[in-house]
Parts: sequence; structure tokens; C-alpha cells
Amino acid sequence: MSLRYMIPVSKFKKYLPKDYVELVDYGPFGKDYSDVGVKNMGTYKELVEEHPMCSGCWMAYYIKIIFASLPNPEDTVTIGTAGCGRLAISQAAVPFIYGNYGDQNAMASGITRAFRLRFPDRHKDVITIAGDGGMMDIGFSMTMHAWFRRERFTTIMLDNEVYGNTGGQESGMSMEGAILKMSPTGKKFGKMPAMQLAITAGCVYVVKMSPTNINKASKAIRRAIFAARTLGPTFIHAYTSCNIEYSIPTNDVFRDAKEMEKGRFAFEEYMTPEAKELFAQIESKNKREVS
Amino acid sequence: MSKKITVGPVGYMPQSAPSMGVELSPKGQALLYGNIVTEEEAMRDAAKALLTMANPTIFPGPQVLWDWKDDVAEKSAAILDLAAEIPNCRIIPMPDYRPKYPKIDAEAEINPNHPNLTILHNKIKAAIFIGVHCHYANLSLRMIRAGTDCYTIAMCAFMGHEEAMASIRDVHAEDVLRFKDILVQVRNELGIEWTAKMPPENPSLPKEDWGTLTPADYGEYRSLLMSKKGEHIADVE
Amino acid sequence: MSLNKTLVDMDYLLKEAPREKHFITGAQAMAEAVKRASVDMAIAYPITPQSEVMHLVGDIFAQGHIKEYYRAEEELGTMSAIAGAARAGVRLFTATSGPGLLRGLEAIVSWPGHRVPCVLGVLTRVVNAPLSIQPDNIEMAYLLHSGIVLLHAENQQDTFDMTLAAFAITEKVDVYIPVAVATEGFFVTHAKGYVDMTSEELAFNEPDPYAAPVPAMDNEVPPARIQRDAPVQKSNFMSYLIHSVWQQEIWDSNKRAMKYIYQYLGGPIEVQNPEADVFVLASGCAAAQAREAHRYAQEEGLSVGFIKVKAIRPFPKEEIRTALKNATTVIIPEHNIIGWLAAEVKAAIPNSGIVVDGPRVYGGMTLPVELIMEQVYMALGMKSETLQA
Repeated sequence: MSLRYMIPVSKFKKYLPKDYVELVDYGPFGKDYSDVGVKNMGTYKELVEEHPMCSGCWMAYYIKIIFASLPNPEDTVTIGTAGCGRLAISQAAVPFIYGNYGDQNAMASGITRAFRLRFPDRHKDVITIAGDGGMMDIGFSMTMHAWFRRERFTTIMLDNEVYGNTGGQESGMSMEGAILKMSPTGKKFGKMPAMQLAITAGCVYVVKMSPTNINKASKAIRRAIFAARTLGPTFIHAYTSCNIEYSIPTNDVFRDAKEMEKGRFAFEEYMTPEAKELFAQIESKNKREVS
Repeated sequence: MSKKITVGPVGYMPQSAPSMGVELSPKGQALLYGNIVTEEEAMRDAAKALLTMANPTIFPGPQVLWDWKDDVAEKSAAILDLAAEIPNCRIIPMPDYRPKYPKIDAEAEINPNHPNLTILHNKIKAAIFIGVHCHYANLSLRMIRAGTDCYTIAMCAFMGHEEAMASIRDVHAEDVLRFKDILVQVRNELGIEWTAKMPPENPSLPKEDWGTLTPADYGEYRSLLMSKKGEHIADVE
Repeated sequence: MSLNKTLVDMDYLLKEAPREKHFITGAQAMAEAVKRASVDMAIAYPITPQSEVMHLVGDIFAQGHIKEYYRAEEELGTMSAIAGAARAGVRLFTATSGPGLLRGLEAIVSWPGHRVPCVLGVLTRVVNAPLSIQPDNIEMAYLLHSGIVLLHAENQQDTFDMTLAAFAITEKVDVYIPVAVATEGFFVTHAKGYVDMTSEELAFNEPDPYAAPVPAMDNEVPPARIQRDAPVQKSNFMSYLIHSVWQQEIWDSNKRAMKYIYQYLGGPIEVQNPEADVFVLASGCAAAQAREAHRYAQEEGLSVGFIKVKAIRPFPKEEIRTALKNATTVIIPEHNIIGWLAAEVKAAIPNSGIVVDGPRVYGGMTLPVELIMEQVYMALGMKSETLQA
């Protein structure tokens, strides 16, 4: 019974700091998604709260959605790499692994296979969460090969179209012509086609989106996690703007995300017939499961 | 006995105990100031430190705080029995090992990335580490020896810790109780009068009457816990 | 597939279990050790020049001795996947060579700091340009400063014993850093030698993921809020001392491995004729040639000592200093151009002037015993012309 590792020894409960006690009493562990999912954010103890991300950071917002969407937070491990995202992810009440630059999908390959050896009858969800640089530049080979090998875990790319954490350099996911550090005369080629690459490489469920609607964003995350348990690799390509490097006023961050939704981050969802069948099963079993 | 490892502060950049030639004790023996001694000798010295130095504190780690396997409850109960026998003892847990943002509450917890903050803030001069994973215990003990004047006692489930002034290895519930008995014995020898009493609960926990608690009572933590619309929180504890 | 094996502890397996003599290659010896180590998972990459080790490990996976095995995309992917799987508390093995080792080095040098227990086979090859696939152990120099425990096998028998011992050492609670077993490509990996092996019905006890100095990341052990190991320093809420003491902890763990090297391998060095004035000191395949030189010398009635260094990290400074206390000359033959072993020995002894830098061969050259004997004759005053090492 996995939940045991987060239940305090009863006699010690009164000696624990408050936020840990609350995590157990009011956190989402072992509870129903309809009570502790994205729709109820703000009414329960969330898995990620305080974090050092910039004011107005759309990535921090999306990371909160990811954690509020986990189908089974008590049996989930996240893996990340260098970049802004890990600053928030590492504060979450879910184990987080940080290895070397861009190695998240190779690490995930190792850990998911090891989990299946040790716990053959249980699902341990593994999710890699990394930026556009980590996924599509430095970690490209490891990202792609994990998909080709049909490794069963979820990959989420936080695409802010720039190396935000290191001060705003061009990435493979930056727009053609973008003037950034290391592209002083403008980027010479366009965004890498991450979604098509994922489909070609064998992902069974792929979504590209600008997460402006939390229910829709959550549904995609949960589908990606469910499908990865049995069917194969899944990929979410999410727009998470860097309001610092792209000089988006804090008040306009949401408006910018809405505009992206009409443009290059228009919602696209791909699924194999098997994935479609799986979602139909899960979603009919519990209408509330995925809203 | 020459002391290889002494109470700090030993300075800005500490030399590690193993690099100073301290080796872990073999099964059935303990380390005291870096020397291999009998468990009894180490326990007596540790007990004396806890009884005579200011603000004795127990730092329980994740392995004894959470009920993750069958033998934890018994060990945890033994730790609390021990705490009750140490005059004015406090319990400050090390609930996890992450660098915590934005900062720790030094009265409520200790963190392995800067354990000295909790020691210095609370003026702790003698402390027990128990249930902390060895890697993090070693880091903490070394940093405490570097920057504080705290006497450290490691009660380790595995092989012990070179960095502690007193290190007891292979500690299970019965060993904690044995240490308690020795501590009571030393206390009586020192003529210290004390009636067993549980340490105060974690200061971060709200003192309000649970029955009338509202989100407003959570002050700066309010954003961390909000009741559902129309709900009145009454069933805490 | 599940094979019925009797699980035993490493002391029994290495020291007491009955053995049978086989005539096999070094690559086979390493794979045979893996077969007896209850390995959960092995990850392979076939970069040229790989040895046969990972093919053979693939075969023993197919036979059911290992639970999981796959070919990764390249070495950085291999070594990163090892680091991932280690977080889940399983027993791991991989092997690589020369350029492959360097390609995986970013991950490999982070294993100790991440407290990754695993066994790495290093079947040494040339790493310099122009490309060559011949034996040369210069790549071991890159591992010396990584924190990893590094053993150097002289022959096929050593490869078998050291690889087995490595699985026990890497999982000790007070060590819990990777152990690399290096030996020379071709000279040992492709050549056959006699190996006394235990029965394959006997295997090393399975790992306990909770007997560890760090929590496994398996959602079964507290704390729930755990990260391994994101940067521990974030200027506004962290201290810099944490990284310093963390680095110290890795090297302390490396040092603590020494007692297990005594326990399982009889110590980090082997000394023959300790009373001699002139010593030949070597590790790995060069030790086999140095041993031959020692035998030649004996046949010629010359008193020459022999020291084989089995552990390169932790480096047996004390033991070497003691063994060379009265030496007047120590000849150090090596299979690389830089002479990393000579540098280590010079740093360990107070009178480094007694060290003869060489003979050294590299780029695939063999190391004739006569080359070592030249130095012996000169040291004993029997020959005077200067020979370039």
C-alpha cells in the first residue's frame, strides 16, 4: 500500500510542521480527482505551492495544472532537467529527479523499466517535464529514442520558445527571425516540428496546446498519463510563455496565451485507435474522471 | 582518550571526519569523538551531554516520522519515550531533504542543506539525529560541526556516522529504550530531578480552538489552506 | 523466465563456494560474473570499439539470468538510463570502452554525487585521434577524479572476481557509489585465460533498495517531497557549504570502500618479494607483464620485487608507501602515454625520485617483458645505456 509512506506515525503528527500535516489531511493523495482536481484548485492542499518562478510566469501556472491533474500523485515520479521549470517542480510534494542536461527521457526509460520489474502489478506514473531546450535541443536524441523504443511514460515539453533560465538564448523551438541572444541577426530557421516528430516516432497520444482552459489542459495531461501506462509514449507540447525574455507585461500573459491558441499553438490532438478506445473506456466508466 | 572529533565550530571549511582518519565502528561498538568505544560508554557520554547542555533536541528524520513500514511505529514510540525523559527536550523534525523555498521555519523544522540555521536559531547545544538517511545525516552533521557548538549524537539504523560526537549503529526500538534507561541512570547520578513529560508540539501548528478555526486564523499560511465554499473546518485531528 | 538459483552472500560466493576451471576470454569472464550477480537490468550500446561483454550480457538476459536488458541510443543515453533506474532501487550493469566511455562521461561523473550504485565495465581502448580500436588505458585517467571506485583487473580471473566483488561493494550503505572494473581491451577481453568460476546455480543475494543512504525514488519510502538531486544552491535560500560537504561525502564514501576491497579482494595491492630493493609496480594488464619480469628475474637469480595495484580508487597510498619503504628503484610499466599510475605513486611516496617513468606502450603496442627487464638491469647496475621509456 503505497499511501503508507506519506502517513505520519500517529504519535509524531503533532511534532511535524504544519504544511506536512496539511499535505496529508487536505492533500490530494489517495483521493478522488473530482474532489481534488483542477476544478477544485484553491480548496485543497495542492502539491506545488510556493516556488521561486517569476511573477506572471505562465510556466509556473501550467506546472500547477500538471500537478493538480495527476491521476495518482502518491505513485508518480517526475523527472526534469536544467531550466526554469525545475525550480517549481522541485518544490512539489511528488518525488522529482534531476540528472544532467537534457537526459530526462533516458532517465525515464531506466526508471520506468525498473518500476515494472519491481512492481509488475502496479502503475507507477513517470512524467518528464522539461523545456524546449532540454527536450528538442540538448536532449533531442534521448527524447526521440525513448519514443522510438516505445518507452511507456509521459513527456511534457514546456515550450517558451527561448532559453529562459540562462538569459534568453535562441532555441530550436524559437520562431524564425526571432532576435535573441545567440541569434543577434534573427533566427535562421523555424520551429522544429515537435508534434510531427512525436507522431512519427511512435507516440500514441500527442497534444499541442496553449493551456488557457484548465479543464482542457488537465484532460490532455490525464489522457497522456493513462495512455502511457499501457500503450506507449505520450507527448504534450504546451505553450508556456516567458514573459521576461519576450517582454510580455504580466497583465497580458493570459491574453498572449489566448492569441497563441489562435495561432501556432492552436489545439491539436492526435491519438492512435487503441488510445481512443482506452479513453472511451476510462471516460465512460467515470463521467467525472475526465471532464 | 584523545578526541579526534570535537564539538565545533571547527571553521569555515570543515575537514571531513573520514579524511581525518575516523572509521566507522564495527558491529556492537560505537564511536565517541571519533574513537571506537563500547556502546555503553558512548551512550553515557551522549546522555550526559543531553542532560547538561542547553536546549537538548531530537531531530527525527523521514524514516521515523512516516509510518512506511511495520517496525516504524515501535521505534517512533521509543523515541518519544526517550524525549520525555530528557529535561526540556524539544523535537524538531527533518521532514524532507529538498532545498525548501522560500525558507524554512527554524523553530518548526531542520533542513540538511543548512542545518546550522535551526541549531543557531534555537541555541541548541546537544542534539540527536535519528531516522535521517545516512547521506543527508553525514552532510548535516559535518555542517553542524563546522559552524555551531552543538554536541551531535547519531542513532543510525545502519553503520553510524563519523562526523557525530557520539555515533551508535544498528539502532532499533530496543536500542533507543536502552539509551533511555542509561540516560535516566545518568540523570539520577547527576542528581537532576525530572518527571517524564512529553516535549511541546510543533510551534508551527496552530494553537487555536479547532472547533472555531477559520481560514483567517492561518494568517500568512492562509493561501495554503482554504476551506471549500460554505464549509467550516472542524474535523482537524 | 525464472531460473532456480541459490542466493548467497558475497563472502561465500567469492571465498568459499566451490570453483571449476574454465578457459575463457576476459569478456566472457565479466559476463559470467554478471550472470552470478542477480543483476536486475543491463543497458548496452555497441559503439566501436565495444568488447563482446554487452553482447554476452544480452545472451545471458535471453537465458533468464537478467530481468531486463536493452540497447540504448548512445552512451550518454545508456549512462543516464542507468542513473534513472538506480533511483528505483534495482541492481545495474553496463560496460563501455574508450570513446564510448568519454561520450558517457557527463553522466558517469555525476553518478557518485547522485549516489548511483552500479557496476561499470571499462574495457580500455585508444581514445586519442586518429581513431584506433587498439588497447590503451589512458581513458582510466578520466575516471580518477570522478569519485567512482575504480578496480583494475590483471587478467580473466581478476575480471571475474573483481566484477563480482564490485556488485557487493557498490551497494554498501557507507559506500553507495558506482564501482568500475577496468581491464585492457584485446589483451584481456579477447584473449582466453584460465578462470576458476563458481557454479552458475549460485547467485549473489538480491539488493535491498531500502538499505541505502538515500531514499529510493519509488513512492514507497518517505519523504514524499524529495528531489534527487536538483541544484542544492539557489542563492537566496541555500548555502554554498552544502555542495562542499556533499563533495567530501563522495570522496569519504570512496575511501570507505577500501575495507571492502580488503574483505573481498584481499586488499588493494599484491606484493611479491617485499625485501627487494628494486620493484616493478603495475596495474591491469601491465601487471601481468610485470609479474613475468619478476619471474624472469627470479630465474636469473636477481632480487626484484613485484607490486600489483588492484585498486586505483581508492588509491592505496599507505599500502604502497609501506611496501616501497626501503626500495631504491620502482619501475612502473604502463599501457598509456601519460603515466597516470606513475604520477599516483609519485604523489604517494616521500621519495618520488626512485620512480622510473616507464616503460610505457600505447596506441595498441604490446608490452614485451624484455622492455621491463632493460629497466631492471639498469636499476641493478647491470646495464648502463639510457633507454627511452
